[in-house]
Amino acid sequence: MAGRRDRAKTEHYFDYSLLFIILFLVCFGLVMIYSASSYNANVEMKNEMYFLIHQGGAALAGIVAMFVVSMIPYHFWERFAVLGYFTSIVLIALVLTPLGVEVNGARRWLNLGISVQPAEIAKLAMILFLASMICKIGRNVRSLKGFVLILGAAGVVCVMVWKITDNMSSAIIIFGIAFLMLFVASPDYKRFIAIGAIGVAGAALVVFVVSQAASTEGMNFRFVRVLAWLNPEKYSSGTGFQTLQGLYAIGSGGIFGKGLGRSIQKLGYLPEEQNDMIFAVICEELGLFGAIAVILIFLLMIWRFMVIANNAPDLFGALLVVGVMGHIAIQVILNIAVVTNTIPNTGISLPFISYGGTSVLFLLIEMGLVMSVARRIQLKDV
Amino acid sequence: MERSKTFHRKKIVTIFLVCLLIFCGLAVRVVYLMVFQSEHYTQMAQELHQRERKIKAKRGRILDCNGNVLADNRTVCTISVIHNQIREPERVIEVLCRELGLSEETVRKRVEKVSSIEKIKSNVDKAIGDAIRAYKLEGVKVDEDYKRYYPYQELASKVLGFTGADNQGILALESYYEEYLQGEPGIILEMTDARGVELTEAGEDRVEPVSGDDLVLSMDMNIQQYATQLAVQVMKAKEAQSVSILVMRPDSGEILAMVDVPEYNLNDPFTLSDAMLQAWEEKAAEEESAAAEEKEADEGQETAARAMTEEEKQDLLNRMWRNACINDTYEPGSAFKIITASAALEEGVVTESDTFSCPGFIVVDDRKIRCAKVQGHGSETFVEGTMNSCNPVFITVGQRLGVDRYYDYFEQFGLKQKTGIDLPGEAGTIMHKKEDMGPVELATVSFGQSFQITPIQLATTVSSLINGGKRVTPHFGIKTVSEAGEVTKAFDWSAQKEILSEDTSRRLRAILFQVVENGGGKNGKVEGYSVGGKTATSETLPRGTGKYISSFLGFAPAEDPKVLALCIIRVPKGIYYGGQIAAPVVRQLFENILPYLEEKEEQKQEGTGQ
Repeated sequence: MAGRRDRAKTEHYFDYSLLFIILFLVCFGLVMIYSASSYNANVEMKNEMYFLIHQGGAALAGIVAMFVVSMIPYHFWERFAVLGYFTSIVLIALVLTPLGVEVNGARRWLNLGISVQPAEIAKLAMILFLASMICKIGRNVRSLKGFVLILGAAGVVCVMVWKITDNMSSAIIIFGIAFLMLFVASPDYKRFIAIGAIGVAGAALVVFVVSQAASTEGMNFRFVRVLAWLNPEKYSSGTGFQTLQGLYAIGSGGIFGKGLGRSIQKLGYLPEEQNDMIFAVICEELGLFGAIAVILIFLLMIWRFMVIANNAPDLFGALLVVGVMGHIAIQVILNIAVVTNTIPNTGISLPFISYGGTSVLFLLIEMGLVMSVARRIQLKDV
Repeated sequence: MERSKTFHRKKIVTIFLVCLLIFCGLAVRVVYLMVFQSEHYTQMAQELHQRERKIKAKRGRILDCNGNVLADNRTVCTISVIHNQIREPERVIEVLCRELGLSEETVRKRVEKVSSIEKIKSNVDKAIGDAIRAYKLEGVKVDEDYKRYYPYQELASKVLGFTGADNQGILALESYYEEYLQGEPGIILEMTDARGVELTEAGEDRVEPVSGDDLVLSMDMNIQQYATQLAVQVMKAKEAQSVSILVMRPDSGEILAMVDVPEYNLNDPFTLSDAMLQAWEEKAAEEESAAAEEKEADEGQETAARAMTEEEKQDLLNRMWRNACINDTYEPGSAFKIITASAALEEGVVTESDTFSCPGFIVVDDRKIRCAKVQGHGSETFVEGTMNSCNPVFITVGQRLGVDRYYDYFEQFGLKQKTGIDLPGEAGTIMHKKEDMGPVELATVSFGQSFQITPIQLATTVSSLINGGKRVTPHFGIKTVSEAGEVTKAFDWSAQKEILSEDTSRRLRAILFQVVENGGGKNGKVEGYSVGGKTATSETLPRGTGKYISSFLGFAPAEDPKVLALCIIRVPKGIYYGGQIAAPVVRQLFENILPYLEEKEEQKQEGTGQ
């Protein structure tokens, strides 16, 4: 099974491009967090380095963890797949206990000495669990039963994340990861296209119904967000406030931006400036060029994932990389779409750049996994 | 160990391609927002980030015809606080209270109010502003701006008017010529963070204010000053309620002086003048005595000297600011015989040599109307009747014209319209309706009673009748001049239509010359000059209170009038005949200003000759 000790015989691959991209994003993220948060951190905490130090610590731990994980053959983790799956379920449930921590009205964190977000752990656990499970059921994945089984296993966690931690964004991401992994594992297209079509049609229907509503009174906040998405200036003082402030930041950046550190919107106007809305600050300070550069870097990263997944020595490794790829891609797309008001507002952070210790730590562990898979690629003529 | 199959690779590539597509879509969206919507959002963001502070524009000055500055600007300061920039609120409150002399409560309320910028006090002396600036208090702003300043205090107060807290013209010329005088305020735009704290490194945008244009008046400060002196003298001597003097050029309508004493201090317009306070006390005393009488019946009601209510004070202020020359109407009395004479001469119903007989009264319908001379003037020509100011003569002349023709002339002379003077609030004529005019009304109107016009209306109409018959528009404004000295606007006051023939105008001047030379207006005679004019004395309404308005209207030179003056003395004590108390005022005025005007004319001609 695992542990092929034939390093001496074959030359192994190390994806330096990916490593460079990761390190660049982490460092760029730290610079942007410092830029976005220092003014308010100074006003509120009298310490302009507050967010930088916290994020920097997590990033450092993450990079160490990434290298450690990349050294360990990835099949080592297969035995923990089921354990990880159930652990993440337990952790999510623990949010309901007194260990749960509420921040800004949302109960999403656990206080385990350091505060962690179970949803972030669940994403990693899900990738590992599904990769292992798909490999185990083998060809059964092609049957409807296997299809339902895999989506069901992911669905349970999604519903828990959504309902218990009231975090729909993370639920969507976990579901998306499962969907993409299953898509790769199964030779079928029709099923997936059908699910995608149903999803798009459903979303369009919701938007249509909500936009026809006469009054927002008593309406679920998610529906109000849809209205604010359609017309942020009308809801500028309430639901549309964050979106509109983000648009101000993006629009006022122009082509070349105001220059690093020169954002005005971060001075208390833009909420979540070092968090979900950090892309808006990037736009304002670095302009269109900075924004496009960030998008390109992420695209490059996903391209590297594709290359690694396609050259992975086995399906398990490939699926691991596909899961990570799905995770990053979905999160980047949703975050930029939200910030540019392309879709209704929902809280999603920008991987590696947004402030969030658990997020960056687990993202880097995922990167370690991908690098571990990459190391197993044998540079031989195929 | 299961190996990846080809379809796995294909699907992975599919995922990448879908991602690529979506990323491109997002990039397009970002380009749209940052290139095509950039201007829109930049502007909206800027409105959010910038705080506006207005810089007052320097208001245009008001100058007399010789270039003397009648209304000027003085540098003052506006003190404001920026809530979020205040570090030591208690010290700020303490300093501002002490320096500005405001109550702690007022200052505290404004300092503690959460607003982007809060004005504490404007029009603060520059010295105090500098003192406050010297404390270097965080969050306290001292902005310099301008305050109106009137160097001659009371001079022409009712003509110039004054400005409000924001330097906006409130009354009279300041209000009428607001659009030229006000200029355009400038703006300081400074960037702030969301809490309103100024971002010093961002700098500030300034839109410089544009100063208002100077207004040049036809008024001559020397004449205005002298006329004011005369008015004050006669008001004191006759213990009169008020005295108005109007001096204008009959040929152009330019007003050289407009006095209405008591005047008030333009630099302190919201404080009641002594005259007004005195009037108030007298009224209060009357009320008190009336109340005392009532007290007999209703014992126990204490009505000792009560305090003035806010409303009463405002009422008194309005009275103090009123310009009786244009805002109030009165019965012109015998001076109006000039109008009756003009109409009759023009219509040809009377000639200078027509003879009349005055028995001291005349019966109209069933009413007996008395002449001022009870025993009658006996037989007299029309000229003599005018010199004697004989009521029966003018009633007869009026009857010859009849209601229709009289009324037509009244309208033709422009008496039913406002004069169109460049001062706000001109009162209209109060006249009988044509269909209500019976013989009695016609008779009384003929010698200037039973209707009311403003003094400016009388002066303007007579000016127009004696200047050859062109209706003029009385005015002060000549031109506006920019700060750089360029004429930005020259006002056009050219004469309106012909209201009287040249010939009748000439004959009228000759008759009015006789009035002053040999008749009732001889107190208006000036050595070395020919003066025309007409006296008037009218009893105030209601009749029988022994209160009179005496007036004299004079012009010189009689054959080619260059200046016309009207003096009205309201409620004098003692002798109240216009010929005896008002005519000497005009005489003194003419004695002084006729040589002065001649000299000026010569200088002007020399100036243009060179």
